[in-house]
Amino acid sequence: MRTEILISGFGGQGVIRMGQILGLCAINQGHRVTMLKSHGTETRGGYVRAQIVISPEYVDSPVVEHADVFVAFSQPAYTKFYDLCGGKVLYDPELVEKVRDDAPDRHVPVAATQLSKETFSNQLFANMIMLGALTRVAALDYEAMRKAMLAVIPRFHDQNLAALDLGHTLPAARV
Amino acid sequence: MNKLAAKYLRPSQIPTKACHGCGIGMIENWLLQAIDELGLKQEDVIFGTGIGCVGRQTFATWGGDNFGATHGRALAVATGLKLAQPDKKYLIVVGDGDAASIGTSHLIHAARRNLGVTVICEDNMGYESTGGQFSPTTPAGYVTNSSPYGMVEPGFDPCDVVKAAGATFVAETTATQWHQTVKIVKKALQNDGFSFVHVRFPCNENFGAYALGTRDTLKNLEWIYEHTQGRKADGSETDFTWETGIKHDASNSRPEFSRLLRDMNARVKADMEAKRRP
Amino acid sequence: MITVKAGGLVAPWIEWEKRCTDGRRLLEAGTYALTEGAIAAGCRVFAGYPITPATDIAEYMSKRLPQVGGYYVQCEDELAGMHACAGASLGGLKAMTATSGPGYTLMHDAYGWSITNEIPLVVVDAMRVGPISGITGAPGQGEFYIARYASHGGNFETIVVSPSSVQEAFWLTIDAFNLSERFRTPVTILTDQVISDMWEDLFIPADYDGLDFVRPRKHNLMMPFYPVGDASIDVPPNVIGHGTGVCVSAYTHTEEGYDIEEMEAQWAQTYRLVNKIRHHKDELARYETFGLDDAEVVAVAYGANARTVKTGVLEARRRGVKAGFVRLVTLWPFLDELFERDCRFVVCELNYDGQLVREVQRAAPHKKDVHFMGKSAELHTVSEVAAGLDGVARSNRLPELPYIWTEVR
Repeated sequence: MRTEILISGFGGQGVIRMGQILGLCAINQGHRVTMLKSHGTETRGGYVRAQIVISPEYVDSPVVEHADVFVAFSQPAYTKFYDLCGGKVLYDPELVEKVRDDAPDRHVPVAATQLSKETFSNQLFANMIMLGALTRVAALDYEAMRKAMLAVIPRFHDQNLAALDLGHTLPAARV
Repeated sequence: MNKLAAKYLRPSQIPTKACHGCGIGMIENWLLQAIDELGLKQEDVIFGTGIGCVGRQTFATWGGDNFGATHGRALAVATGLKLAQPDKKYLIVVGDGDAASIGTSHLIHAARRNLGVTVICEDNMGYESTGGQFSPTTPAGYVTNSSPYGMVEPGFDPCDVVKAAGATFVAETTATQWHQTVKIVKKALQNDGFSFVHVRFPCNENFGAYALGTRDTLKNLEWIYEHTQGRKADGSETDFTWETGIKHDASNSRPEFSRLLRDMNARVKADMEAKRRP
Repeated sequence: MITVKAGGLVAPWIEWEKRCTDGRRLLEAGTYALTEGAIAAGCRVFAGYPITPATDIAEYMSKRLPQVGGYYVQCEDELAGMHACAGASLGGLKAMTATSGPGYTLMHDAYGWSITNEIPLVVVDAMRVGPISGITGAPGQGEFYIARYASHGGNFETIVVSPSSVQEAFWLTIDAFNLSERFRTPVTILTDQVISDMWEDLFIPADYDGLDFVRPRKHNLMMPFYPVGDASIDVPPNVIGHGTGVCVSAYTHTEEGYDIEEMEAQWAQTYRLVNKIRHHKDELARYETFGLDDAEVVAVAYGANARTVKTGVLEARRRGVKAGFVRLVTLWPFLDELFERDCRFVVCELNYDGQLVREVQRAAPHKKDVHFMGKSAELHTVSEVAAGLDGVARSNRLPELPYIWTEVR
């Protein structure tokens, strides 16, 4: 079974980091993984996109053309890539203010930025909150995700684990 | 073939195809004298060169290992070679085109890195193997085949350039100064770092013929000699003067390039081993 | 001549993978795999100049080489970079450089020098879309011909290979080093921005020293230094610094390495430089195929692009099209034999001018059956490829698709 995940936002939000943890988690569970990351020269500020494909077999096309899950971290990203997604759309309502109303059951609001600011007095942990929510929504192995996160992120393990927990237990993510 | 040539050179490649009266062969003999006086053997020295008169006439004359790079790149090749063969002496014999024009960026950065090579820049003040065009070392105002109205560009002094870039030994001499050149080359070879020796010599066929109006070797050598003295045979002043001699000697004052890398590697290895210990 | 083995991948690392069971599985970028492949192959010198999207190779090398007693040299330009690699290789150390198109063209000075002096080394060109600086973060396949003619003057053949995955980049780098040693010539790994920047699962063997398929550097310590007039391979490369009296130059040379201006010598040297590769094409053939047995239309691609193209072929087959697939790993010498079959071809490449397609047109029996799907700066999508194959299977014509160029003049 081929699973396609698309994550997009602005540079500096930790979009690539999320993809890296997700990918390593899948590899540790014996899967094959590809991750395309696109950004221009503007690593900070410009749009960033991670296309992740997970499969038990070798992944031929690494391009996400029919995402099973789409994580939108900015309004332009949401608008630009919405049509590539046939599954759940996780979005941060503080960053994506206008969502389409024709598919409410596919939309999952995750107030990651707001929660990060409230809990950690810092919006830096929004990506881990979102990853926690994504783990729940995509029914991925949470323990494996925690381990992968610890392997990828060099510092602030306590806060990052707390953020992951926060996202994973979020009512909105229990779908 | 003289005794030194028999000892160090490759008989099948001597004599070279150099023009009659060309200074390249004579200067090469002086280099051999310096090598011999230092007690160096054929296998101690790697001989590198480039393209042009100097490259073409000296390539494969050296009896030991040698290379002739593409135009200007002898020092780039030597940069890699030195890493693999750090204990050899390197004699990089190139012309003014290789050193002062097409390959100047490599010259500057080899000097900056203090690459352990001795560059002998044999400068015939123009591009003579292509028929006598001006080069960055052609004196201002002189006529060549590409400066028929006189060289209008200002030239530069490659010694100043390499000194500014960090060369640890810099000297200037000419084809009229046998003993001084041998002494200088010996010092240059004893510097475990970047040495630069600028040797002006006459080209009779082109520079001599067009810029100085004569193909006579002695007259051309005399013209060079006068410009090292600032005075002509008749007592009048020359249009400019070349200061010859050692211009900068900081021999063995800072680590040679490949040594720096080897020292770093030793540090990295020690750190890795320290981390591995329980 | 090569005998085409239809179905699956033809490459030496299929065996290597079976033999390497002990190792680590990582999520890493293509640049990482290219670097580690080089280290595993025994590369001990990297000299080059940083350029997107090959910069990470330089950075990884600057970290890894000192750990294994090797040397990283950040040069003043790419001219110096490849010449320094050639110098290091001449001194007895395996060397690699990495660049992108703008740097690759600057290296051609040293490329020709390395070809004529039979100096083994590996060059990575991570292609981005052009011309010239183009878009630094977008893939291209514009150096297909430049890599073949990576120097002026003619009278030589080149070896160019292209990986399609991060894992393949690792094995192929080892393979490229082996080929450069066996054939005494520079080998280009023609990769692209997608493969170099992409992250993928990567198996790395635990013990590089135990890799018996890595060809160690040997030295030729005596005459003839250049077996001119002779096409044999597996002649050890020459070494400077061992007192052999070897001569290395830019000119046409004798077997001693002396420069010479004689026709006989020129012919003898050319014979060797061309035929040591042409006569051993079977040693150089790496490719992947499927569905050729019943294929009416065959999609042709290489590099990152081959991945979406392969999925597109599978999609076309699901739609009932008798589609086949050829992925070239060896780009040069060109594997004509793969295209000597009576069917239609759709050549997918990342440029609008058409490069690979021209070689397929030359090699295939009918030029009118060879079609071009050129795309610029972005991989073909699966649906584009499937639609293209469908159209050609039905009517021998490509449908009109946005952003796809089909004309080759």
